[in-house]
Amino acid sequence: MGLLTRTRETAPCVVTISHRFEELSAHVKFTNGAVVNPGDTVQVQGPEIMAAFGEMVEEDRTAVITRASKLEQLWTRATGDFEFMELCEFSFSEEVMS
Amino acid sequence: MNIHSSEATTAEEAIAAQEALPPLTNEEATQVAMSNTLLTPRFYTTDFDEMDAINVEPVRAEWDKLIAGMKADPNKGHFKKNEDWDEVDWDGMEPRLKAEFIDFLISSCTAEFSGCVLYKEMKRRGSNKDITELFQLMARDEARHAGFINDALREAGIAVNLGFLTQAKKYTYFRPKFIYYATYLSEKIGYARYITIFRHLEANPDKRFHPIFKWFREWCNDEFSHGEAFALLLKTDPDLTETRMNKLWIKFFLTAVYSTMWVRDHQRPAFHEALGVDPAWYGQEVFRKTSEITRQVFPMVLDIDHPRWIPQLNKMQDANVQIADGRKQGGVAGWVKRMIGSARAGMAFLSLLTIPVVHNEVPDSPRLEPAY
Repeated sequence: MGLLTRTRETAPCVVTISHRFEELSAHVKFTNGAVVNPGDTVQVQGPEIMAAFGEMVEEDRTAVITRASKLEQLWTRATGDFEFMELCEFSFSEEVMS
Repeated sequence: MNIHSSEATTAEEAIAAQEALPPLTNEEATQVAMSNTLLTPRFYTTDFDEMDAINVEPVRAEWDKLIAGMKADPNKGHFKKNEDWDEVDWDGMEPRLKAEFIDFLISSCTAEFSGCVLYKEMKRRGSNKDITELFQLMARDEARHAGFINDALREAGIAVNLGFLTQAKKYTYFRPKFIYYATYLSEKIGYARYITIFRHLEANPDKRFHPIFKWFREWCNDEFSHGEAFALLLKTDPDLTETRMNKLWIKFFLTAVYSTMWVRDHQRPAFHEALGVDPAWYGQEVFRKTSEITRQVFPMVLDIDHPRWIPQLNKMQDANVQIADGRKQGGVAGWVKRMIGSARAGMAFLSLLTIPVVHNEVPDSPRLEPAY
């Protein structure tokens, strides 16, 4: 990892989407043990994966992991905490509607 | 006659109902596509080694009891539609109320969904059995809640789109303690919010404009037990709540969360009016309950009866309206308006932050049962 340079790598992954009454969830699991670190970006390749209502879809895909530079990683680590409000739920979006 | 999939009581029935629908015409398909709502959960990483190092031995007896309760899954059968699910007149709903209520459903669904993603990630990356088991159970509940809300949205003609998975997502980072404070508070405040509405509607059933409110009690009991687990986690390391720095963080968290809730609730007047709830009364009621509950772990509660409390919350709300106006207006004048609004909001927040706290003796055993 360079101080200022990003690197890209690909990782095989399994994408699981459950669009069912009893469960709405979606997860990406890397099958080669790749680990995502602060500041990294992940993009699953290929067309949008859709699951019709009532379905659970599992697909093997490839993901591109763009590794953050060392500086970016440090920055994300240092400032991430301040985004803690993202973890809180308020029932409503912040948008002013009327 | 075919039933609508959202009226089905089981997943199988819902699928069958879905399949029995006639194919969509082009026009209908476009309309459906237009009301597609892209779920946009956030993605986080944390220090998984630090999380793995948690030792629940100091609270083992209470921990095991709580986990056993969650494993027994008393709410398993709850999130099903039954005869209590009244028909909703979406078309007849006052447009402003409809917009605010849909915002409520989408925001809640996204929150449950994001919680599920976060918990599942922790389960997957951790190796401490106690911790991964907890996160697995919480992910289960959140996915279930999200599915239930999703169905209510479908009934309103809104389909959630899970296409975010193929978009680039950046992972941000939180230290584990921030995840504990934030999720602990979020689960407990969620409980207080839901139970307050549930009790209010129990007394005023004519104000229940949607059946989902009938499910709030069991729903918030899940939130309550998730909060209990985080309370125990906070107990495993006294530093988390006792050092000077962490006490400041907790005060900051409480003030930020309470004031954000106040502002957001006041931005949904039609929703609260339909429920027959004054947002100010509701806010104070939720703060009171949350404060009472958080005495289980936090060494202080905010002084919500302080003479500066409500006036400054209202100032923050006004400033927020000003910021939104400025954004809508655009241009230099809009920018100036936004900056003034931001400065006013910041001043109000500072004023709230400097209200002295009420100190609290934390009990040895944090465990509580939902009592409201």
